[in-house]
Amino acid sequence: MANHTTVDYKAEKGRYYKVLFGLLALTALTFIQPSTFMADNTFGIQLLIGAVKAWIILMYYMHLKGETLIGWTVVFAVFITAFFFGIVMIDVNHFQFADVSHITSPAQ
Amino acid sequence: MAHDSHDSHEYIPEIAVDRNGKEHVVQGWQGDFDGAKLGFWLFMLTEVLMFGAMFMTLSYYFTLHHADFIKASSELDRMLGGVNTVVLLISALTMGLGLLKMRSGDVKGAKLMIWATMLLALIFLGVKAVEWTNDFKEGIFLGLPSMQAGGGKSFGELLFFGMYFTMTGLHGFHIIIGIGLMLWLLKRINSGKVSPEHHILHFNIALYWDLVHLIWVFVFPYFYMTGAGAIHG
Repeated sequence: MANHTTVDYKAEKGRYYKVLFGLLALTALTFIQPSTFMADNTFGIQLLIGAVKAWIILMYYMHLKGETLIGWTVVFAVFITAFFFGIVMIDVNHFQFADVSHITSPAQ
Repeated sequence: MAHDSHDSHEYIPEIAVDRNGKEHVVQGWQGDFDGAKLGFWLFMLTEVLMFGAMFMTLSYYFTLHHADFIKASSELDRMLGGVNTVVLLISALTMGLGLLKMRSGDVKGAKLMIWATMLLALIFLGVKAVEWTNDFKEGIFLGLPSMQAGGGKSFGELLFFGMYFTMTGLHGFHIIIGIGLMLWLLKRINSGKVSPEHHILHFNIALYWDLVHLIWVFVFPYFYMTGAGAIHG
């Protein structure tokens, strides 16, 4: 079963550490971004950095690199989520019931 | 036909006989690495959809109550949140190295790395407990009078903190489940049921831990960093 391939321990360990340092660098970037660049769009930039970190984790820590079937399954799930996310965002930008809704103002 | 197991530690394959009388080994979950991995990925996608719906809700409210969310976010302790981000990041490394050691035959090293991961998970929960205690002292906790309508906080702030405690609480619950899974994994390694030859359980628990880390990668900026620029959005 499991050991489909022989393990190159040294090379794989090195890759784990490289990914760690990459993720640490991105985490540091997360911290300094609001006070150094594009501070007027912190939310978007933070999510962009988060997406890059997520991609690295998926590819290297979760071993998705080279996984065709599972990779496409993940893409499909992310697409479904993003699709509904888009619909929600369109909806919220055309929200017509702000005066009567309990999600825009507290219940009386 | 199935063979009786005389030794619970020994893996005895089940044998099926086809119409020509030829015997085949039935693949159990321990022997079907790809099937077990795919099945676990499907489970994890349900987790992604659950948290995805929560992130959508959060984004929806953020759009409706932009200024309130930024103000509420600026009240959270970014330093403690950042410490937990690094703790979780390192725990993902120890978990990965543990799996690597298991695959390369170093069972003792793998167990040490699992213990290290559990220790980091406990540190994460400890930091979270300190953070929530501080929040409580400052009047930010579910059920407190200051968190009720008319308690001094705007509706947007109440929504933000409601989502904050719900999502970080659910994430913390996943951390606790992860610790339980790691204890179970250690038990199965000690009994010889997980070994370098049969390590799918270790692989899937490492995947679970990476998912917990992955969710935090978005929880942290959503809650802690959106208010980092104070008046910026």
